[in-house]
Amino acid sequence: MIFAKLVMLSIVPYVLAGQGTMLGGRTGLFNVAQEGIMLLGASVGFLGGYLTGNVWIGIALAVGVGGLAGLALAYFTTSLKMNQFVIGLAIFFFCVGLASLLYKVIIGVTLVPPLISTLPGIPVPGLSRIPLLGEIFFVQNWLVYFAIVLSAALYWLLYRTRLGLELRSVGENPKAADSLGVNTTRMRYVTAIIGGMLMALAGAYLPMVYTGTYTADMVKGRGWLAIALTFFGGWSPHLIFFGALFFAGIEVLAFRVQVGGRGIPYQFLLMLPYLATLLVMMFAFRRARVPAFLGQNYDREKRYQ
Amino acid sequence: MNQQLVFERQVKPFFVGGLIRKILPYVLAIIASLAAAGLFIAAMGFDVWHAYVTILGTSFRTPNGFVQTLLKFVPLLLQALAFTVPLAAGKFNIGGEGQMIVGAIGATAIGILLKDLPAPVLLPLVILAGVGLGAFWGLIPGWLLYRYRVNEILSTVLLNFVSFQLLNYIATEVWADSAAGHPTTVPIAAAGQLPMLIGNPPLNAGIILALAVAAGIYIFTSRTVGGYELIATGANPRAAQVFGIDGRKLSLLALVLGGALAGLSGSIEIAGVQHRLIEGMQSNYLLLGIIIGLIAKGNNLAVPFVAFFIAVLEVGASAMQRTLMIPGEMVFIVEALVLLFVLLSDVIRRR
Amino acid sequence: MTNTAVLEMRGVCKAFDGLLALDHVDFRLGAGEIHGLLGGNGAGKTTLMNILYGLYRADAGEIILRGQKVDIRSPKDAIEHHIGMVHQHFLQVESFTVAENIVPGTPIKNILRLDLKEAAARIAALGEKFGLSIDPAARIEDLSMGARQRVEILKALYRGAQILILDEPTTNLTPQEVDSLFHIVRAMVREGMSVVFITHKLREVLAVCDRITVLRDGRNVLTLRRDDATEEEFVRAMVGENLDIRRSIIFSGRATADTPLSPRLKKEPNSPHSQGAGEAISGRTPVLQVEGLNVLEGGVPVVRQCSFNVRSAEIFGIAGVAGNGQLPLAEVVMGIRPATQGRVLVFGQDVAAIGTAGLLAMGVAYVPEDRLRDGFLPGANVAQNLILGSHRDAPYARGGFLDWKTIFRVSHDLIAQYNIRTAGPAETGGNLSGGNIQRVLIARAFARPARLLVAHNPTRGLDIPSTEFVYSKLLERKAHGDATLLISEDLDELLLLSDRIGVIYKGEIVGVLERGAFDRQALGRLMSGVRT
Repeated sequence: MIFAKLVMLSIVPYVLAGQGTMLGGRTGLFNVAQEGIMLLGASVGFLGGYLTGNVWIGIALAVGVGGLAGLALAYFTTSLKMNQFVIGLAIFFFCVGLASLLYKVIIGVTLVPPLISTLPGIPVPGLSRIPLLGEIFFVQNWLVYFAIVLSAALYWLLYRTRLGLELRSVGENPKAADSLGVNTTRMRYVTAIIGGMLMALAGAYLPMVYTGTYTADMVKGRGWLAIALTFFGGWSPHLIFFGALFFAGIEVLAFRVQVGGRGIPYQFLLMLPYLATLLVMMFAFRRARVPAFLGQNYDREKRYQ
Repeated sequence: MNQQLVFERQVKPFFVGGLIRKILPYVLAIIASLAAAGLFIAAMGFDVWHAYVTILGTSFRTPNGFVQTLLKFVPLLLQALAFTVPLAAGKFNIGGEGQMIVGAIGATAIGILLKDLPAPVLLPLVILAGVGLGAFWGLIPGWLLYRYRVNEILSTVLLNFVSFQLLNYIATEVWADSAAGHPTTVPIAAAGQLPMLIGNPPLNAGIILALAVAAGIYIFTSRTVGGYELIATGANPRAAQVFGIDGRKLSLLALVLGGALAGLSGSIEIAGVQHRLIEGMQSNYLLLGIIIGLIAKGNNLAVPFVAFFIAVLEVGASAMQRTLMIPGEMVFIVEALVLLFVLLSDVIRRR
Repeated sequence: MTNTAVLEMRGVCKAFDGLLALDHVDFRLGAGEIHGLLGGNGAGKTTLMNILYGLYRADAGEIILRGQKVDIRSPKDAIEHHIGMVHQHFLQVESFTVAENIVPGTPIKNILRLDLKEAAARIAALGEKFGLSIDPAARIEDLSMGARQRVEILKALYRGAQILILDEPTTNLTPQEVDSLFHIVRAMVREGMSVVFITHKLREVLAVCDRITVLRDGRNVLTLRRDDATEEEFVRAMVGENLDIRRSIIFSGRATADTPLSPRLKKEPNSPHSQGAGEAISGRTPVLQVEGLNVLEGGVPVVRQCSFNVRSAEIFGIAGVAGNGQLPLAEVVMGIRPATQGRVLVFGQDVAAIGTAGLLAMGVAYVPEDRLRDGFLPGANVAQNLILGSHRDAPYARGGFLDWKTIFRVSHDLIAQYNIRTAGPAETGGNLSGGNIQRVLIARAFARPARLLVAHNPTRGLDIPSTEFVYSKLLERKAHGDATLLISEDLDELLLLSDRIGVIYKGEIVGVLERGAFDRQALGRLMSGVRT
């Protein structure tokens, strides 16, 4: 079924950005710059691949830039104790501006946009021969496999290892964790950097799999949708993965129906993902299990928090 | 979830004393950002001095430049206020773009549908339609927040995307102007257009309206009981509630008011400048509006000044792109850097 | 005969934002002793121990452990030196289990797997040994205060603490649980541990400590063995020369019994007595009536069939261990939360119909227990904080517009009157210290006449002179004929001030005692749910 295969293809940006948000959030760091980091990742990834002819270099550069963005977020909020939302917005602006600036400077304005080759589907030996399921799940580009494995690994990390317990305790009560000798600062930095890397990777996926080019509006709100996804998934890696299936499904559905042409003006179909998300959020926020100190900084020496 | 107040400055009544000390961090931030940008520009091989002169000077060199600045100033001012009013209550309205578009749609609709009404009736209706629809677009996330505790950052942003499609639809299907190459509607009736203050260069009366509204907002937030309650809600929603302030309702109203302000900017764009709906009209006003609000630290008295400065930079940016071939995004980076340095100055002062 | 000192802190100095919290403090802890660290709030006791535990960095001074100089930069270092600390406000994640709270930060055996079974067994064994029974698999949110404190102590024992710091450990305990705690502490000392016992209550240090150090205003004023000084000498050390002990409310035990009612009330026909609050209260008009109140929180009843009255010219105390429904009760009375069943009448009117804003306008004042969370606007200035709740009415506002000139004038007066240490009404609230924040809330509550005051732990965190001040204000209210509902977890405070004490247990008023029949042990039993 082409539909199912397309959905699996489309979950990657959501999964990567969502897990990146979740990771930081579990230590209390609420990153709202996804949309910008994804765009920057798309730009850098594309340009890197274009200039060097090697897609992997593009990906590596994008991931590096994302890590820097995460580092900046961690530094300004954890070390300088500035407001997380404001810094997140500032980083968002900066990334948006930088993404377009880099493209303009390196490529300039062209009539026909330059292309890079997109990532191929890689069949998993043996499993890809299963009728129907094989084609859907086991002949995808490697980033799809990465997204699946990543989600499973994060689940294991968070709930079945000591490190995961300590990570969660930082987000639930940083003072308690600190008083037990857990290095809260290091945890926030590490999760922020890895989170930024994942978000940039999610962005780099877009030119490398979907279009082969870069346009300034290519993220189309997926970064913001990733935040909704994270709430929807209760900040848990496995639920986020399944939730991503839902979001990707709507995205593909809107696209398919639009192409099919059913008499509904296509604009309203394109609204579908966003409206559906709004609807979903009405229920997600009610029961959301959010880390208690999400969005709040921790200052060990502050006497009255 | 997040109970920290974003900024101190917005909650203090304004004192004239210490003005120099207040402005100094801003001036330093501007200098620092321009310097940083200058390095970048030089690295790209362009003439830095000319770039500076163009960015800062274009607004003041010709009457046209100045009027262009004022024309940009109006939507920037209103967008910034659309962000700072909910910000006072601790809410982030990232939907100014959508609220502006929807306001513009409303204004255009009235301007086209009721085109036979005389000007004294049609013009106010056109303006109010925009305000009303913008308020409605702020009501949706406000109500979602009030009733379902949905985070307003998400809901306002998502509605932006919805509004883009709406605009596209109306400009291509409903009142499309087939003669235009780009999705555009037919123009609204002349009776619905704002009077001109100056014929050439074209400066419409929208600026008076915008300034009046800005003054009203300032008085509201700093001198009324309602404004106090708004600020208390933002400072500590729980404490405000404990002492008799209905913060949830206030947050809802703040988002509606923010939407109304953004909607007004849409009305003025239609009635004063474009006279028709054009896809992409919203430009990057939203992002700039937020940057202005953050640089001004939510202080509604500082907002007009910061907005004017940003308008100057924006006019300079297009000129720079046209004449010097330096990408306009450079100025955006400058603006983001100014924000960053201003925020940092707070941190430095704390230590 | 000198004790070998297991710990010595020399010349410790610490300042916060220019305010000196510790001024060259020396402290010696002997091996195997229970050392009381006594002083009023703000004296520096917690600050000193936070430095020892690595949560704060001292500006100057050194720490010498077992003869060796050590550098403690973080709790991790302190833990490695076998120092443990039980904080006044428990540091726990409610949704985690006991084991999940105790284990983070300890050396990890296996990176890839989380195995709590071994930890649980160790925790249970430690509990047995020291008499701290606890189920390692229980969720914190299901545990009582006493049990939660046992978890905090186990955290330190699990890490092999040899020196244990207890910061105000009796705050949330019934008298019986306090005795039990003392047993546990003595057991620990027998096992070779040394204990620092921080408290502001003289009674406690006299009961259990071997030696006592008194801190005042950041200085070590006195260090003596318990038997080497009289009670009065310790009190004198705590308060210094500023307070006349004989006239003090706290230390002389004078209180309501001696407070004369104002002449106006003496003339009322239904209140025949002129002194002694015990009699004829029933003759006065009830200002607050709570009738059959039930409150559900997340489906769980937190207030159950609660009924009592508070009359004019009365201080009605509510005693109970924290978490027995005091907060929901206060919030329903103030109209902040709706009741599930039953009703509350203030001045004869239903609170549900009036709402919080209406109550405040009608002459009700509130001092919430958690001053930062529920009562203060850190980003606003002092003036804006002082008018919170009264901002709608004259003289602060007229016709929807605020009168800033009057607001600032009144604020200046209040700052002076209530001794709020601040640069002025325009100063940002967040700069104020905790004690001053509390003074702002007190000033706010007393600034305008109020026939009913609901005060929840009003003196928590206040130093001795300020506590005296609040007590005198409360008695003034009573003399003036106003009613006060005093909810407090400090039994001594209630015994000093109340005319009647109602004990709340699991959301129900399980008994009311009148002045004259006050008995600490009886109250303790009621607080533990034992009905007489």
